[in-house]
Amino acid sequence: MMAKTPQNIEAPKVASRGNLAARRLTGEGADASLDAVKSQSSEVRDIFSARKDKADSHEDLVRRIADNKDRSAFAELFAHYAPRLKSYLMGLGLNDEKAEDLAQETMVTLWRKAAQFDPAKARLSTWLFRVARNRFIDHTRKQKYAEVDADDHMSQMVAPEQTDAPAVQRQYAERVKAALAGLKPAQKQVIELSFYQEMSHSEISAELALPLGTVKSRIRIAFEALRKELRDMA
Amino acid sequence: MTKTGLLPDEWLVSYASGALTEAQALVVACHAEYHDELKERIADAEAVGGALLEGVVPARLSVGALDNAFKAIEALDEEAPSEDRVPAFTAPRMPTPLASLLGKGFDELKWGFMGPGMKKLMLKTYENGERLWLLRAKGGTEMPFHDHRGLEFTLVLTGGYKVGDTHYTPGMMEVAGPEDTHHQPIIDEGEDCICLAVTDAPIKLHSFVGRMFQPFIGL
Repeated sequence: MMAKTPQNIEAPKVASRGNLAARRLTGEGADASLDAVKSQSSEVRDIFSARKDKADSHEDLVRRIADNKDRSAFAELFAHYAPRLKSYLMGLGLNDEKAEDLAQETMVTLWRKAAQFDPAKARLSTWLFRVARNRFIDHTRKQKYAEVDADDHMSQMVAPEQTDAPAVQRQYAERVKAALAGLKPAQKQVIELSFYQEMSHSEISAELALPLGTVKSRIRIAFEALRKELRDMA
Repeated sequence: MTKTGLLPDEWLVSYASGALTEAQALVVACHAEYHDELKERIADAEAVGGALLEGVVPARLSVGALDNAFKAIEALDEEAPSEDRVPAFTAPRMPTPLASLLGKGFDELKWGFMGPGMKKLMLKTYENGERLWLLRAKGGTEMPFHDHRGLEFTLVLTGGYKVGDTHYTPGMMEVAGPEDTHHQPIIDEGEDCICLAVTDAPIKLHSFVGRMFQPFIGL
């Protein structure tokens, strides 16, 4: 299960800050971002080519970081999640550079706390979402967002082997996406304003010129529908 | 509004999405500690966040982003991840986020006078005008009638109180808004009722007696 890892990947002496302008939200998908990480050092390129045919789940990759400080596992997770974290953070209003900084910090947190990640309790995307959300709040509001040990409830937990397969992971995201798409546009809108803009009920109410009570009931109905979908999957 | 004393889903979604203020998030995190059902719902809402994260159009990273991450990792310097140990207060139970904030038990705090049978302690003021309070009332106290100009979250930590037909006991949360007029909590007989509260605007007291208390309460 453990791939042999290069022990000493050397960072380039000078990090180029030249083409900041080239950074932008892109519709080209993950491959473009993957190129950006791949093209850097030959060691990193090797990591990617060595891993070409492996299809470890994201959770397995975290395990390899926890057990062996496996850089190739980290590189693979980075390639997948860092561009998405950056996109989410830019959506919250951070500029390109700051969004990338916080995306990086989030991924470094994953490296640091890999041993604490328990795939039986949470999906990696959920875990990363929490970290990025909290980092964003720390950064923009200079405040700490009190944490709930939400995985502590232990009820209806999915067995690890069921969540492990990348296909299931993808399927899960697909189904939540499908469930979102299945919501009435008005309900989907309040969920997206909540998560992608971090808007409070009163901010949404002002944004959409709706009574506060309507905003709240829409969120409740939308969440109930999404929750049903999540529960059906588990 | 919250007849069962459990925070309604729309607030759990706001917690999960990061849309709560810090003071609200603190009280919600304390509240959730009492109820597995709430933790589960918050975990579900955060899973929605995770799925939305999976679904965004990936942004382009700068050249060398991964190498920079490895540099940051090397700079970590093998320092052990710091485990924030929270002082344990067994009796009465104190939720973890509050225990971290206070660092001591309820009886070691410097309570201020708020009115007959009532004490208060302002823990924090926030830039947005919110205030975080501990309120303490002797068993049997009838609080003065008051309206709410803003939103108020109140989490019961010890004892209990009634508002109308609703009975709030430890772990239960009351959410009151400007629409809740003539709000008069009546404290249960027996032990002191201690509550953690967030206010976002001063409350307005009715009646001569109430107005007389206003300077004391000062919420």
